[in-house]
Amino acid sequence: MARYILRRVLQSIPLLFIISFILFNLTNSLGDPLAVYAESRNRPSARDREMITRRLGLDKPILEQYLIWLVGNDWMLVDVLGDGSRMEYGTRRGVLRGDLGLSFVTRQPSWTRIQERLPWTLALMIPAYVITVVLAIAIGVFSAVRQYSFWDNLITGLSFFFYSMPIFFIALVTIYIFAVQFKRWGLEPIKWGGTGDGTLGSQLQHMVLPVFCLVAIQLAGYVRFIRSSMLEVLGQDYIRTARSKGLSEPRVVRLHAFKNASLPLVTLIGLDLPFLLAGAVVTERIFAWPGMGRLFIESFERADVPVMMAILMVLCIAVVVFQLLTDIVYTMLDPRIRYS
Amino acid sequence: MTTQTNTSSLRGGQEEKVLSLNPQQAAKGVSNFARSMRRLRKHRMAMVGALLLLFIFLYVLIGSLLIPESVSIYNDPRRALQAPSAEHPFGTDVIGRDILARTIYGGQISLFIGVTAMLVQILVGAAVGLAAGYLGGLADALLMRLAEAMLSIPQLFLALIALRIFSDPTQFPDFNFMGRRFSSTMIVIVFVIGLTSWMRVSRIVRSVVLSVKEQEYVTAARSIGAHSWRIVFRHVLPNCTAPIIVSATLGVAAAILLEAYLGFLGLGVRAPTPTWGNIMGEANSYLDSWFYWFFPAIFIMLTVLGINFLGDGLRDAFDPRSLK
Repeated sequence: MARYILRRVLQSIPLLFIISFILFNLTNSLGDPLAVYAESRNRPSARDREMITRRLGLDKPILEQYLIWLVGNDWMLVDVLGDGSRMEYGTRRGVLRGDLGLSFVTRQPSWTRIQERLPWTLALMIPAYVITVVLAIAIGVFSAVRQYSFWDNLITGLSFFFYSMPIFFIALVTIYIFAVQFKRWGLEPIKWGGTGDGTLGSQLQHMVLPVFCLVAIQLAGYVRFIRSSMLEVLGQDYIRTARSKGLSEPRVVRLHAFKNASLPLVTLIGLDLPFLLAGAVVTERIFAWPGMGRLFIESFERADVPVMMAILMVLCIAVVVFQLLTDIVYTMLDPRIRYS
Repeated sequence: MTTQTNTSSLRGGQEEKVLSLNPQQAAKGVSNFARSMRRLRKHRMAMVGALLLLFIFLYVLIGSLLIPESVSIYNDPRRALQAPSAEHPFGTDVIGRDILARTIYGGQISLFIGVTAMLVQILVGAAVGLAAGYLGGLADALLMRLAEAMLSIPQLFLALIALRIFSDPTQFPDFNFMGRRFSSTMIVIVFVIGLTSWMRVSRIVRSVVLSVKEQEYVTAARSIGAHSWRIVFRHVLPNCTAPIIVSATLGVAAAILLEAYLGFLGLGVRAPTPTWGNIMGEANSYLDSWFYWFFPAIFIMLTVLGINFLGDGLRDAFDPRSLK
């Protein structure tokens, strides 16, 4: 087991280098990052721009820039003026030493930008995800034990329906009904857009609609998944054995069927969890929620390469780590799997 | 929903059908593919999906014969954001264009993007999967690490970045085709979506290659001197058709949804080319005018729903075990 874990950890390190190299090349091809300076009020002169370019190492070939991004440039002399008359040490320490770089736009460390936004994203995604999984287990099991009944067919049909719905559609419909129409009908409209006036109650009210939309969209896929893995387990011989030895049906479903059916669910959850960090780009846009998805779009629109790279790398590291954890947890839960 | 009737008829009907073939057919034998197609025709959800798709297809096709493209471009700010009426059944948009006409012409582009992006995805995925599985060794390791790396990055983020890099209007200007003017972002987006979604297909193909490679008939083919290309096209690819058809079908839905999300964010296909997605992007700010966003969204949903029904039916039809 320990050797298996060690091997998986060692395998994921080159993977992260490949990911970071692809992303670095892509984000650095987005256009002139110094364009944001050109539109700012105290616009730098051409000479200053050149100095900034050299300090940031943007004049170097892309491979060298990638190395600087990895290990920093505080140990090498930077020729600030380009003629060798003024040599300075760089200021970047590199990602490998925990320095994700300064935002081109706000000059804050990229990590600070992420720290500002991450709690907002989690405030939205965690409740939505917990509600989704709990409801999905309840509905999926309910549907599976009544296979082909009226309720099962209704649930299957609805889950297809919601599974096919783009999230902006359900978001716009719910806003239209609960905010716009409620006002017309003289009811108290649910507030949406932004995070409220700072009080907890107002924040919770602003969370209602986005959380509802996220649940509605995610639920369908999870219900279908749980229903089909329950059906598979319910068809197994050991379920027949459990029934024939006289166990009560709830006991069969809960202990013998659901416990086994939840194994693939562990994998699904483990693989989906890290993507919660990315936030929901479209949902956050519609509800003006200041989360990670919007931070990414904002940095994307201004070609703020360090912040984009920071978000993407945090995300990819989370994905790789969770993949590893999922594998390990799975081995521990399923005694049939043995790794040497 | 009619899952019960269709699956039970499937379970009961399948074997009898095979036995009740007329002698000529029985002599020729029935291919697996034909058998799967017969199962598909009995799958009621799949047929509902196929009808839905036929309806959408006829809508954008016949619609464009009845309503000329100029109607979808003609704007008149005096009639902006009018609610549905006899003259404009779906209402008008913010600069007074007819939304019915725009969903027809936008739909053509959305469907075109969905289908062609799927083709790119399948071609690249199959090529990578074949190369990795067949060559093995270093090529396999590198290609599969690449696929794994790309799967770890959220596709929307990847697509946004790639789209920005390749949609510089000075490098890719608008072009004219069949008397209509298109934005070149429409072509770029096809490749961006295709090249960010080939990974799953390549994994499926690779796993089929690896299992087929060990079969005795491949060894036999090789021993009588068949070269690699023949083995790939005669023995390996036919074994991949079922999973490829299923993932191609679902791939169209995913591509249409991704285009819609990009368009909704205002970062997808640019004007003057409408798509269901970028009409939604414009309509986002006019929440009160429900008809503006409702109709393009309903078309996206119906298309994706139809494809999902069909894809689910295909999966059942190709994999009889899933019905047990």
